[in-house]
Amino acid sequence: MLREEELKTFVDGTTRYFEVAAQQPATIGSPYLLEGEPAMHDYTGMINITGKREGVVYFTAPRAMLTVLLMKMQESDFSHESMRDLVGEVANTISGNARRDFGHDFVISVPSVFAGEKPQISQPAGARAFVIPIHWRSHSAKLVVSLT
Amino acid sequence: MLLSGVDRNRRLLTAAAGFLLAAVMGLVLIIGFRLATQIRGNVGTLQRASELETYPSVVSQQLTALRERLDTLEYTGHVHAELAASVHGFDRDFAALEREHDLDPSAMHAATALWHSYTPVLTPVLAYHGEPYSDTATNSSLSRSGRVFYAHVRRAELFAQANAAALHRQLAAVSASLQARTAAAASRLRWLLSGGVLAVLLLGLAAAYLQLARARGERAAREAQEQTRDILATVREGFFLLDADYRIGAVWSKALTHMFGRENFAGLSFEELLRDRVSPETLATATKFIKLLWGERAHENLMKSINPLGQLEVSMDNGRGGKETRYLQFDFHRVTGPKGVKHVLCAVGDITSSVLLSRELHEAQENAHSQLDMMVSMLHSDPLQIGTFLDSAAAGLKHINAILKEPARSHGEFSKKLAGLARELHAMKGEASALNLMSIAQRVHHLEDMVAELKGRSELTGNDFLPIVLKLDELLAHLRGVREMTLRLTALRDNSPSPEATLSTPALRIGSSGPEELAATLQSLARKLAQDHGKDFSLTVNGLADCPRSYLPTVKDCLIQMLRNSAVHGIEPDEVRRAGAKSAGGQVRVDFRRAGSGYELLFEDDGAGLSPETLKEAAVRKNIITAEQAAQLDNRAALALIFKPGFSTRAEVSMDAGRGTGMDVVAKAVYGLGGKIGVSTNPGRFTRFKIALPAASESAVA
Repeated sequence: MLREEELKTFVDGTTRYFEVAAQQPATIGSPYLLEGEPAMHDYTGMINITGKREGVVYFTAPRAMLTVLLMKMQESDFSHESMRDLVGEVANTISGNARRDFGHDFVISVPSVFAGEKPQISQPAGARAFVIPIHWRSHSAKLVVSLT
Repeated sequence: MLLSGVDRNRRLLTAAAGFLLAAVMGLVLIIGFRLATQIRGNVGTLQRASELETYPSVVSQQLTALRERLDTLEYTGHVHAELAASVHGFDRDFAALEREHDLDPSAMHAATALWHSYTPVLTPVLAYHGEPYSDTATNSSLSRSGRVFYAHVRRAELFAQANAAALHRQLAAVSASLQARTAAAASRLRWLLSGGVLAVLLLGLAAAYLQLARARGERAAREAQEQTRDILATVREGFFLLDADYRIGAVWSKALTHMFGRENFAGLSFEELLRDRVSPETLATATKFIKLLWGERAHENLMKSINPLGQLEVSMDNGRGGKETRYLQFDFHRVTGPKGVKHVLCAVGDITSSVLLSRELHEAQENAHSQLDMMVSMLHSDPLQIGTFLDSAAAGLKHINAILKEPARSHGEFSKKLAGLARELHAMKGEASALNLMSIAQRVHHLEDMVAELKGRSELTGNDFLPIVLKLDELLAHLRGVREMTLRLTALRDNSPSPEATLSTPALRIGSSGPEELAATLQSLARKLAQDHGKDFSLTVNGLADCPRSYLPTVKDCLIQMLRNSAVHGIEPDEVRRAGAKSAGGQVRVDFRRAGSGYELLFEDDGAGLSPETLKEAAVRKNIITAEQAAQLDNRAALALIFKPGFSTRAEVSMDAGRGTGMDVVAKAVYGLGGKIGVSTNPGRFTRFKIALPAASESAVA
């Protein structure tokens, strides 16, 4: 079973990214359990985890949110590649936070990024996915954590 | 302790040796100085005595020279003057010699006597001042006074020649005695110096030995210190000493640095060490506990049993820039000396692994127990009822998840979710309790606790709901386990070859439970509630067969809540009933019947009834209404308070009451079916609920 501290580590990693990159912290909405197919936004950054826990953690955000985020970061390039890089960076920050808190207990993959296409998510058997809405300004993204 | 004692003795011995060395050297110097002074004096005297020895022969020769000059009528003035100088010199030196101490007295006495015997013969010679010659034109001759003078000179010459040798001998004897004394003093000085040098050598050796021993001791102490340092740097426990002011001493083990995330602990008070890591209450208890340890009469083993820091949860750096939760155990040992308690030794151990292990073990045991209990409950229950419950619980959890999924950003939106969660959970717990599925009921109860805790917060965010969603996941997993177990048990009972075969049997289909099963469930719940709350009552159920199947889940929820209320609040204990002239066993009645085009459900107990005043007080206490509003409520409005969310007359929460969710659930369920609910009561006699339900669709009627 996923522990509260573990879930918090992923959540903090995500909200911290907004705080550091855009000097405006993100808040989290009401978390819930994922039922059925995961609802993906335009861009998704994902890390696979093995070791003490196994599963996936991904951050999926709409294009509008990422555009405003890039603007707040004083970026002028709003291309498809920039969006991909941005969700990849968020996934990387989540990964860094997890490494810091869990050390060698978790083996974390290099982030993979999906845009538009349906990602190949290898959700572990028997593990339920937790969806944590991430609110930033007027936009909403999702952090999905599914670990055994 | 031992080391420092030996060190102190060595220091004392070295100091004593140094002092002795200085004293001996001082003594040698003083005595040596005196002896040297004495020898120097003796040498002067000896010189004078040696000079004196020459005077008798000089005086004798001068007298002879004077006489010869008188014989040859030569000038005598200068010889006379030399004689006078010699005699005067002898007198002076002899007088000086007489003043000296430590001279051979007999020799000195003899010399003095002899010299004094010269005086009568020398005085006329020395006293002569005239012209000894008388001159004529042709020759010179002795004058009259000259002849007298010649006679005196001749007499003195003869006397001097006769006594010079004797006087010389006596003076030589004086010199010899003086020489002997000087030699003796020189010898003493030599011995003194030799002795002094020897003593200095010995004392120097002793001091060198002690210094060596001290150096050896210091080296041993240094090594011991190094070893202590190594131990303190290597040991995994945190060690430190507390003084009488409850402050940490100058030495501590390195593990403490990691445990508390600071480098310097010297002089830090125990309170400061723990302030930001424990609750103020625990800190106050721990401070009191430490003070108790200094009491002479406190029994250490007894103290150990009341140690409030036996398992302390702290947040620590994980070495990678993050934090982790660890569990520390503080042990206290008193260090006593002759004057009582000197220090308190604190040993801080990181017991995280054992705490987690024992927690896992405990959880595993709990799971095993609850599974066993569950299995026993299942064996005594109808699988159909359990299946129905599991379906209804799954639907309830789905609804809970739907409530959670509704978007929320503000406190109000989050707060609104809590009321919905509480209602769903309470209904689920009631059903689980009714079926005696306590492992489920307890888990739901725990979730209810979490929801209730959040209700009291002034600010809510999504973070606060993380534990709830995790607990929800755990509950879902547990329900899945229970379902699997039910299927296996059903398979066993049916002697079915595989559990999967029973999955498709109609027995476990949603809503398959009928009115008979509901009546049995209610009877079972009544027995359990009576036992749990020490009440004696019987339940009579009539007419449930007339209940439309589509109404059964709602009717079941309502009856379970009302039955729990009767058991907890309504039915009085036997002694109260006897005092009120009521029958010993309470009566609870359920009547379901057709009424016009719809239905009527009556629920009645002959318990304590409802007191409008008590209800108003409870509502004010729960902040549902203000005291002013309460004062304006009539009895009918006061009775309606029981349907308000969060209302309960119980101060504490238990498995069966106190949440203030029961009648709220009933009312909501009835309204959900388009029905109405009313309550009437006679304090001390009865409480009656009348529920009116509309007609159900034909297809749903049993």
